[in-house]
Amino acid sequence: MNKNPEITRRDFLKLASKAVLTAAGLLGLGGLFRFLDTQTEPSPQTDFDLGLPAKYPLGSRTVLADVPALLVHSLGGFSALSLVCTHLGCTVESQVDGFACPCHGSRFDLKGNVSRGPAGKPLNSLKTAITSDGNLHLYTS
Amino acid sequence: MRRYFLLAASLALLLALLFVAWYEKLHPKPVPLTPTLTGQVEYCLTCHSDLAQISNSHPVQTFGCVLCHSGEPLALDANLAHSTMRGGSNPSDFSVVQASCGSDKCHSGTPESYSNHIQRATTSIQATYAGAIANIMFTFGVQPDLTARLGIFSVQVPGSTSGITALAAFDPAQETNPYVKAFGQNCLTCHLSAQPMPGSVYFRFTGCAACHTPTQSADRTSTQQLQSSQIHKLTTSISYTQCDTCHNRGNYDLRSITFTPRQDLPIDRLHDYYQPIAQFTSCEWMLDCVDCHTRTEAMGDGNLYSSKLDIQYIQCKTCHGTLTELPQTRPLTDPNDLAFRLALINPVVDLKLGDTILVTGKNEPLWNTCVLPDGIYQLVGKATGEVFPFKPVMGSACTQNGTDQTSAYCHTCHSVTR
Amino acid sequence: MRPNFFHHLHPPTIPARQARLRYTLAAGGLAVFLGLVLLVTGLLEMLYYIPTPIMASASIQTLTFLVPYGGLVRNLHFWSAQFLVIVSIVHLFRVILTGSYAPPRRLNYLLGMGLLVLAVLLDFTGYVLRWDEGIHWALVTGTNLVKSIPLLGPSLYTLLVGGALPGPATLIRFYGWHIFGLTLAAGILVAWHIFRVRRDGGIAVPPPAFRLDHIRITRYELVRREVLAMLLAAIGLLLLSTFAPAPLAPAITANFPRVETARAPWFFLWVQQMLKLGNPFFWGVVVPLAVLLLLSLIPYIFPIAARPELGRWFPRGNRIAQVVSVFVLLGVLVLTVLALMPAS
Repeated sequence: MNKNPEITRRDFLKLASKAVLTAAGLLGLGGLFRFLDTQTEPSPQTDFDLGLPAKYPLGSRTVLADVPALLVHSLGGFSALSLVCTHLGCTVESQVDGFACPCHGSRFDLKGNVSRGPAGKPLNSLKTAITSDGNLHLYTS
Repeated sequence: MRRYFLLAASLALLLALLFVAWYEKLHPKPVPLTPTLTGQVEYCLTCHSDLAQISNSHPVQTFGCVLCHSGEPLALDANLAHSTMRGGSNPSDFSVVQASCGSDKCHSGTPESYSNHIQRATTSIQATYAGAIANIMFTFGVQPDLTARLGIFSVQVPGSTSGITALAAFDPAQETNPYVKAFGQNCLTCHLSAQPMPGSVYFRFTGCAACHTPTQSADRTSTQQLQSSQIHKLTTSISYTQCDTCHNRGNYDLRSITFTPRQDLPIDRLHDYYQPIAQFTSCEWMLDCVDCHTRTEAMGDGNLYSSKLDIQYIQCKTCHGTLTELPQTRPLTDPNDLAFRLALINPVVDLKLGDTILVTGKNEPLWNTCVLPDGIYQLVGKATGEVFPFKPVMGSACTQNGTDQTSAYCHTCHSVTR
Repeated sequence: MRPNFFHHLHPPTIPARQARLRYTLAAGGLAVFLGLVLLVTGLLEMLYYIPTPIMASASIQTLTFLVPYGGLVRNLHFWSAQFLVIVSIVHLFRVILTGSYAPPRRLNYLLGMGLLVLAVLLDFTGYVLRWDEGIHWALVTGTNLVKSIPLLGPSLYTLLVGGALPGPATLIRFYGWHIFGLTLAAGILVAWHIFRVRRDGGIAVPPPAFRLDHIRITRYELVRREVLAMLLAAIGLLLLSTFAPAPLAPAITANFPRVETARAPWFFLWVQQMLKLGNPFFWGVVVPLAVLLLLSLIPYIFPIAARPELGRWFPRGNRIAQVVSVFVLLGVLVLTVLALMPAS
């Protein structure tokens, strides 16, 4: 038996082929990843036109189902609370004393702070503004 | 023995397949309907083919069912099919009426096209109950005057000509005054979004159906019987009995904030119409409420008001005139006159171009009236079809003073003894 | 008689003792049968199903109510799918509790675990294709769980969802995975899994010296028994599909209806229950993967049954593995039951 530590030509060529094929495979995998990791849909709406501010009088709390958010008109003006649960994204239900998530039991108080887990963060506050056309707008980002 | 297992199992499979085929035959054959207004096929008629068409103005071949009721058009399982119906069995409930009856081609159009029913009905006094609420709040010192600030739901009418452009929602839980709280508990059963009190005499639907889907007294033995009989009707031919599910039912006591129902057991129309304490003339019980009270009075004019007194304006003189004036009339020369449309929906009269009808002080057409050639006037009952000829006050033996035209004044001579 | 194709798929003879129903529970065979039913009923459904958010639920309702035997096809597909997951778990536990994963069968055990994962993923992707209110929150939470994975999460989310939020791209991707991607992978693994059964020497048996008898059954008898089992399973499926319809809910619309509680699909109820405890990544990704990993590593980390003990229930050699696996199963069952109880 040849105790020469050098590699035979056959084994070297075999190794080289395997290395090249592996490199090709990795390249293909990278390309596959780029192929799959693409958005074809337009980005979701972040600016919601809510119409005239007069539709939401002082003291009102209006659930906007398609955002989803709660629009509050208080003495300090308009504010909005996102109704997306901060745990895993289900839409929370508006209740008398706050909000309840139907998925894993998280509860939030009327201001959006967590009153019972498993959610860890309070409901997001969303920005509102009245634009130059006089309409109230809500922004989700 | 074991070699027959395979044969037995094969036979069992064949039997199972035959059973499945037989079971499939038990299912009702789907009945499709593609209404002309939607172009989408729906299968409600598979189970509901025996339901009467709701009205001649809403033919099922044109509208279908889903346009008004929503629901799952393709489902033949009752629970799934009905799961997304608007307003349960009543799509005219005000919480869903805009989606069911709205759109500018239907009942939320413009005043000029006479199609702004939803905007008027949802801001009317019967819907907002603003008058009753304002009265109680003022009586017990919670608000300084009788101007309405609250309604059953919050509503805004930016261009309201009454000066009231918005009402906030009345929430009895937020009120501290014990009388107002008691009012919230005991006295909120007669607005258009309220569930009526228990009892067959009070039974009615909510929303538009409160008036336009009449419930016959024979149906009203129990709510369950009512619901199972599937009353499916929209009409403008509304009998006084429908109005009486809320009106003329009894008395409220302001000191105890309770309601005492009327105790009499009426045997005929005369005794049934009003509760025993009322005063009324013969036309006020022989006609139906809708024969005099106009569209604007019952459904509002789109503005917010603090009291029914701000919207009710019909008087005896509207039809009968005064000693010095004949009642106002209008000859029908325009084929697009509202009078013709109203007469078409409820054909108790055969109005023709050239006929002359009476009109109110606000120029609303009293389309069920007409002026006959010999100076006689005629009214045909919208709900009964009865013909009532009558003469104007001018030229009669009436001894009115002319300045007081309130009904109480006319009652002094003309009120009926029960 | 001359053996046909199906006879040739089987070994000439197998030991009678290990061929008994009380040993195999017919679980592996039933899984194959259910897979075939799924392929056929799935193809039939494909002729009516439309994979767009607006038409998905409507096309399923059309198939269920308006196509003759359409409801039957859908229900057969649904029940075969749920029973496939159950039967796969039964088969897994039969293998563990008889110690049959001993070398040289450890690779085949991993292939089987892979098939279990694919069955569950196929069940979930099929569930999502309903695109109705019943699946809405499961889709939202499931995809958000993927997003919660550190570093890779957002990319994996886009890969799965095809956008920033679940929408038309998500539906078409789930459809592609369900009818082709996962099915192809499952087909390859099934073929490999069954090949390995033959390659590893057939059903696990003790060496000849330790067998109680040497009775064997022929391939003809084996195929006959399998056909009998398939006929009985078919009858059961038909009756169940006639009387217990697959769930159906109204389509997802912008104005969502009110739900008191949102329920995960039954095979994920245990995960939903754990998610009530807190951090989504830990309870929703780490713990379930850890459970999967534990089950997958059973042949590698716990003592193996000795060869003379194979071919029967509860051999002494791999008791620890048996106990651990039963505990895991009980844990999942308890979590599932807890998830079904009304919320406090």
